[in-house]
Amino acid sequence: MKGWFEWAYRDMLSFFPENVSTFGAQLDGLFTFVYWISVLIFILTYFLLIAFIIKYRARPNKKSYHFHGSNIVEFTWTILPTFLFVGIGLFSEDAWTKTKYQMKVPKPDVEVDVIAYQFGWQIRYPGPDGIFGKKDRFQMSKMNLFGIDSNDVNGKDDIIIENAQLHLPINKNIVVNLSTADVLHSFFLPNFRVKQDALPGKWIKVWFNGTKAGKYEIACAELCGSNHYAMRGEIFMYGQQDYDKWLDGKNKKMIELQQKQKAAELTLSDSTTTSQGS
Amino acid sequence: MSASSAVAHNHHDADSHGHEHHHGHDHHELSFIQKYIFSTDHKVIARQFMFSALFFLFIGGFFALLIRWQLAYPGKAIPIIGNLLPSTWVTDGIIQASFYTQLLTMHGSVMIFLVIIPLAVGMFGNFCIPLMLGTDDMALPKLNMFSFWLMPPAAMITMGGFWFPDGMAAAGWTSYPPLAVINGPGQTCWLIGVFLIGFSSIMGGVNYITTILNKRTPGMTLFRMPLTVWALFITAMLIVLGTPVLAAALSMQFFDQFLGSSFFIPDNLVTTKKFVGGGQAVLFQHLFWFYSHPAVYIMILTPMGIVSDVLATFARKPLYGYKAMIFALMAIAFLGFIVWGHHMFQSGMNPLLGTTFMLSTIVIAVPSAIKIFNWLGTIWRGNIHFTAASMNALAFIATFIVGGLSGVFMASAPIDIYIHDTYFIVAHIHYVLFGGALFGIFAGIYYWFPKMFGKMLNENLGRKHFYWSFIFFNLTFFPMHILGVGGHMRRIYDPYIYDFLKPFQPMNEFITIAAGLLGFSQLILVVNILWTIKFGKKAPDNPWNANTLEWSAPTPPPHGNFTEDIRVYRGPYEYSMPGAKEDYAPQTKQDIPSEVEGEIVDESMFKAH
Repeated sequence: MKGWFEWAYRDMLSFFPENVSTFGAQLDGLFTFVYWISVLIFILTYFLLIAFIIKYRARPNKKSYHFHGSNIVEFTWTILPTFLFVGIGLFSEDAWTKTKYQMKVPKPDVEVDVIAYQFGWQIRYPGPDGIFGKKDRFQMSKMNLFGIDSNDVNGKDDIIIENAQLHLPINKNIVVNLSTADVLHSFFLPNFRVKQDALPGKWIKVWFNGTKAGKYEIACAELCGSNHYAMRGEIFMYGQQDYDKWLDGKNKKMIELQQKQKAAELTLSDSTTTSQGS
Repeated sequence: MSASSAVAHNHHDADSHGHEHHHGHDHHELSFIQKYIFSTDHKVIARQFMFSALFFLFIGGFFALLIRWQLAYPGKAIPIIGNLLPSTWVTDGIIQASFYTQLLTMHGSVMIFLVIIPLAVGMFGNFCIPLMLGTDDMALPKLNMFSFWLMPPAAMITMGGFWFPDGMAAAGWTSYPPLAVINGPGQTCWLIGVFLIGFSSIMGGVNYITTILNKRTPGMTLFRMPLTVWALFITAMLIVLGTPVLAAALSMQFFDQFLGSSFFIPDNLVTTKKFVGGGQAVLFQHLFWFYSHPAVYIMILTPMGIVSDVLATFARKPLYGYKAMIFALMAIAFLGFIVWGHHMFQSGMNPLLGTTFMLSTIVIAVPSAIKIFNWLGTIWRGNIHFTAASMNALAFIATFIVGGLSGVFMASAPIDIYIHDTYFIVAHIHYVLFGGALFGIFAGIYYWFPKMFGKMLNENLGRKHFYWSFIFFNLTFFPMHILGVGGHMRRIYDPYIYDFLKPFQPMNEFITIAAGLLGFSQLILVVNILWTIKFGKKAPDNPWNANTLEWSAPTPPPHGNFTEDIRVYRGPYEYSMPGAKEDYAPQTKQDIPSEVEGEIVDESMFKAH
């Protein structure tokens, strides 16, 4: 029974997960604003409904008031809600423009690519050179979900994280280029108040700015098959120093890896030349 | 046979043979099959829609309870029936993830296409339109029969995946590609089944429009029609304009899914099934919601009309703002066609469109608010009689207020970012479709049952059904708003792999118990109906002292409906006229007797239309 009735005695707004993004407060504020307007309308209409039900319940020898309505009243209760609701719409517009308009996405401090697939997320950082390799849709495959162009040298050192763990700094504008390799998915960061469907064949810019270090969750919010529920990812927010440390570590590993590969290629080509020579 | 000649014919017939032996088309006795199975009589077809839809209500409800079990107790075996279910559905009584997605898909599809639309449109459309317009039958009775008889095969095909190892359709009732397209034969069946259901809908819609425009009895002007008929008229237009678009979307998806074309599939999708590519996934969503948003109004407009009629009758008061109510219905229907994008705020369509759709969507709250205010105006200074019918109608208003207000949240695109695809949406849709549409339908069933079957439903059981449904409905669906605020995604097999959803397990458990009781409450309705048909008290012709034409027909109405020539003299809601002896004034009655013996009421004083 513990927790069964939590919904009944706790304020609905207290159930929001902690907000850790800059625009999250504005979105929650909008929710709260509409919430209180709704509570007000709810109380008003329910008061009338219940009062009428009690006051005008049937009694013998009573006759109803024969009245078909009044145009002035109709006009009033058309105009007032129109202003109220259009007001809410216009009031919402700013937050929508700010969060979603592709041309208003701020200049990125950190840019990453995220691709969704059945059933998980892959994340791509630009690597030691700081430049993403070009993407080519036709080179996308199970082994190369991002479709990194094999002819582009900038792509050789891109770091791909396969376990759906996103590492980012706080107080920076993060831009995520989002897409999917197969079916629709939805990139949902509850604590950051971010949600965007991933569309196959299209890269969508999603931005946010985290305000608090810690570990948060990534969820998929669009039905994508049997294991839809299991598309859990994690997002680690660091202070700038910790983030740099993490990124340097990753970059160093990549450089080492590339050197090893180069060495391996050299020995390989050496041995081929030798074998050709003999 | 035209309406008037049919009526005249009936009149003559009634005179010569007496009331009991009367048949509308009295050439020969109809065989059992013609009379009860392949019948062209609109009343029989209405009953067929009612029984088939109530049957599917329990199938859909069963699916819902399995979903609820999984959410409350993931990884626990279903009690009692767990081990009886096939091994492709459950392992050791535990629901499998793949079966869970089939469940949520079929719950939505069954409830929308096989329960609410057939009940709201099929049943009430068939029963109410000819009777409330004072005519003998639909304009196209054969088409009407086909419209019902397409449903059983369509329903079987929709769930046809049952026979395949991959199971039923599992891409949600919205069936978004590419997921739907890469799914197996269950999805093919679903596409064909829903296509046929749409076809049945269109046949019904065409028939309703034709009947309403051509077969009204003399004196029944458009603005003397009861709101139920107006709502059905507007609903029929929505069906005729919207459903072909759904049919197009389903056909295109069928091509993609079955024949390997690529309307909705972009280049080089990384899936095992290979496609030509070059399509757009989001196109399907546009086409689908162009129908499916109006479909929400297809499901709720008729209940709105029913509620208006029921409230006026039981408050013994004219409907407040009759014309405003009609214009509000029209406004909802019109706006319904330009708001579909609000389902797609997060879909990746151009956010500029989000702004447009946000404004059009938010404006649709206005006609909805007008309707609420007019209903409140109707019961204001009334003399409200509480019956199972009127209580369900009042419950409709109560739940529609909540459903309408929660709609404002998601109409605002930035608020929708967070609550989109969460349980907040699930709460909203159930407040509108269960709390709204279904309570309206219940009101209609309790109201018209005496006319349909000639027996009075047990009022006591009716009230029990109402109280239990209303209480458990709210206990089931209200907490879902809170799950949504907590970020609980919908269509999640096991929410508790997420840390932020772990605290919601007890609440889910509570909802599941409430949902189970809500499901059992519906059995009261079935018991009531079956018991009444067998043992119920015989119903008088006009048990509620209502004005509209159906109550002037004998109970139950014979084939051909009316035994005498009828004419309409006034609007449908002239209750409690000052100076009148009775508190109602049937539309067919020319002179209303006054309180003063031997005089009639001078209606010119307060005629509204």
